[in-house]
This record gives sequence, structure tokens and C-alpha cells, in this order.
Amino acid sequence: MEDEQSFSDISGGRLSLQRRYYTQSCREFCLNCPRLSLRSLTAVTCTVWLVAYGLFALCENSMILSSAIFITLIGLLGYLHFVKIDQETLLIIDSLGIQMTSSYASGKESTTFIEMGKVKDIVINEAIYMKVIYYLCILLKDPLEPQEISQVVPVFQSAKPRLDCLIEVYRSCQEVLANQKATSTRS
Amino acid sequence: MVENSPSPLPERAIYGFVLFLSSQFGFILYLVWAFVPESWLHSLGLTYWPQKYWAVALPVYLLITVAIGYVLLFGVNMANTSPLDSLHTITDSYAKKQQQKKHQKEAIPALRDVPINEVNKMFFFPAKAQHTQH
Repeated sequence: MEDEQSFSDISGGRLSLQRRYYTQSCREFCLNCPRLSLRSLTAVTCTVWLVAYGLFALCENSMILSSAIFITLIGLLGYLHFVKIDQETLLIIDSLGIQMTSSYASGKESTTFIEMGKVKDIVINEAIYMKVIYYLCILLKDPLEPQEISQVVPVFQSAKPRLDCLIEVYRSCQEVLANQKATSTRS
Repeated sequence: MVENSPSPLPERAIYGFVLFLSSQFGFILYLVWAFVPESWLHSLGLTYWPQKYWAVALPVYLLITVAIGYVLLFGVNMANTSPLDSLHTITDSYAKKQQQKKHQKEAIPALRDVPINEVNKMFFFPAKAQHTQH
């Protein structure tokens, strides 16, 4: 079953959340960030080239102009490949674990998997990040000390959705985790 | 023993007056040192003064220190803020070692640090019946 809803991130940009309920114990959430807009791309390119032209007018060295073109191209490629994240996915499977995938604008994908034995809980935490924001995070426990939280893993770090989107994901994940706890205590 | 209250007292009046007189004297002395030419001061016999350069330099130093202090305070605060993936946003050493007091009937429960998963359940699952655990 698939569901799509539109939310906004902490700076007002539009996000779209796609929820896929494969079964009772396996769910996936995809957050699509807004693509690189033509307006911001032309703005950055124009400023870099105007600065380069100003430097050229000062010192009459034409290498500055060609290096500015080069820098713009290389910078754009590097930004698309290393910085700009287009989609973030959270896949939660009851007995197996939680997988987080980030797809970059150049097509690169980076995946992190956390097995269910290490997951203590999924919570919405508040912290200061220039202002107070809510973010969803996975609390990990050390298998030797099940009562203590050993690590905090934030999810949806580059999309940064607002609280309404987080509450949807939180409730869904808590249903899966409650299901998992019920089956693990029964077995 | 002096009582700890902000009310006016004779000793405080004396402190205030001494402070007023000395600050006025210091200010007049600073103005005299800055404006009166060196030859006049030498003719009076007062020769051992600091350089007049400092009459301008010290206030400028003070103003720049105040301005940088604003920026520095902001920067120190930002540097001390825990990152989003730090354990300090969830708990700390005092909360881990807290004692669990036993629940007495019909008494106000003892103060304790509520774990974050219980807080979340209270906030984000309003449809469920609330049952606090001790």
C-alpha cells in the first residue's frame, strides 16, 4: 500500500513523504527533497563569474577567466556528487533491522544498516541547531548493558522535516517496534 | 553580622560617596593629563606621566574588547552546543545514577528525570489511555 503526502522542512522548503506499507512488519518511508533549482544555480554561477571578471579587470591575466569556468564546473559536479541529497529513505523490518539510504543528485547512494538487536527505541528528540528543531533519532543499546543508551543516530539529517512529518513516521515505527517486542516476548 | 538585604545603610552611603568622589577625581585627572601640554606639567614639577598616546589608545582598546566580547560569547556558546548525535541531548551522568523511589499511595510522586521514550509516548500518542509507571 502506497501513500504520498507533502510536508515542509525547517526552512520552509517543500518535502514529499512517500509511505509504503509492505506488510505489518515491514515499512518504508521516502523523503524527497526539492531538486537543485535553476535560479540558485544561475545566481551562484553569475556571482563567481562576475568576481572573476572583476579580478581580471584588475590584473589583466586571462587565466583567471578560464580558471573561473573550470572551478564552476568542478564545483557543480562535486556539489551534486557529495553534498546534494535528493532522497532519504528509512526501511524498517520487524525482525531484521533498520536501513537508511541517502541518494545524491549524481545517482550515488549511501546506505547504513542497523540490526534490530542493537535498536533500543526510535524517538523524536529536540536539540539546538541554530534554533530548536525536532528530529527523529534511533537510540542504540549495547548488548552487554540493555538498560543504557550507547549511541544516538539521527535520521533524515539533510531533509530535516518538521514535527508533523516526524509524528507520522514516529507512530508508524512505534507500531512496528511494539509488534516486534510482542513477538520477541512471546517466542 | 550584616543582614543580607538591599536596604540603604549608613555604611553603604559612605561607600557610595567615596566611590563618587574618587571616580570624579580620576576623571578630572585623566582630562588634565590628556589635554594640558607637557611643558606646563613639567613647569609645575610633575614629570613622571605615561605617554599621552595612551590617553587615546586605552579607551579604544576598551571599546574593541567590548565589541569582540559580544562575538566571542556567541562563538563560545555555539562551540559548546552538543551536536545532534551526541548522548548529551538525551541523558547525562546524573540522570543515569538516579534512585528509583518507591511509589506511595496518594502522594505526589518523587521528582525524577523521565526517560525520553516515555515523554514521547505521552506527547505523540494522545489516543492511548495514559498510565504512568514508577
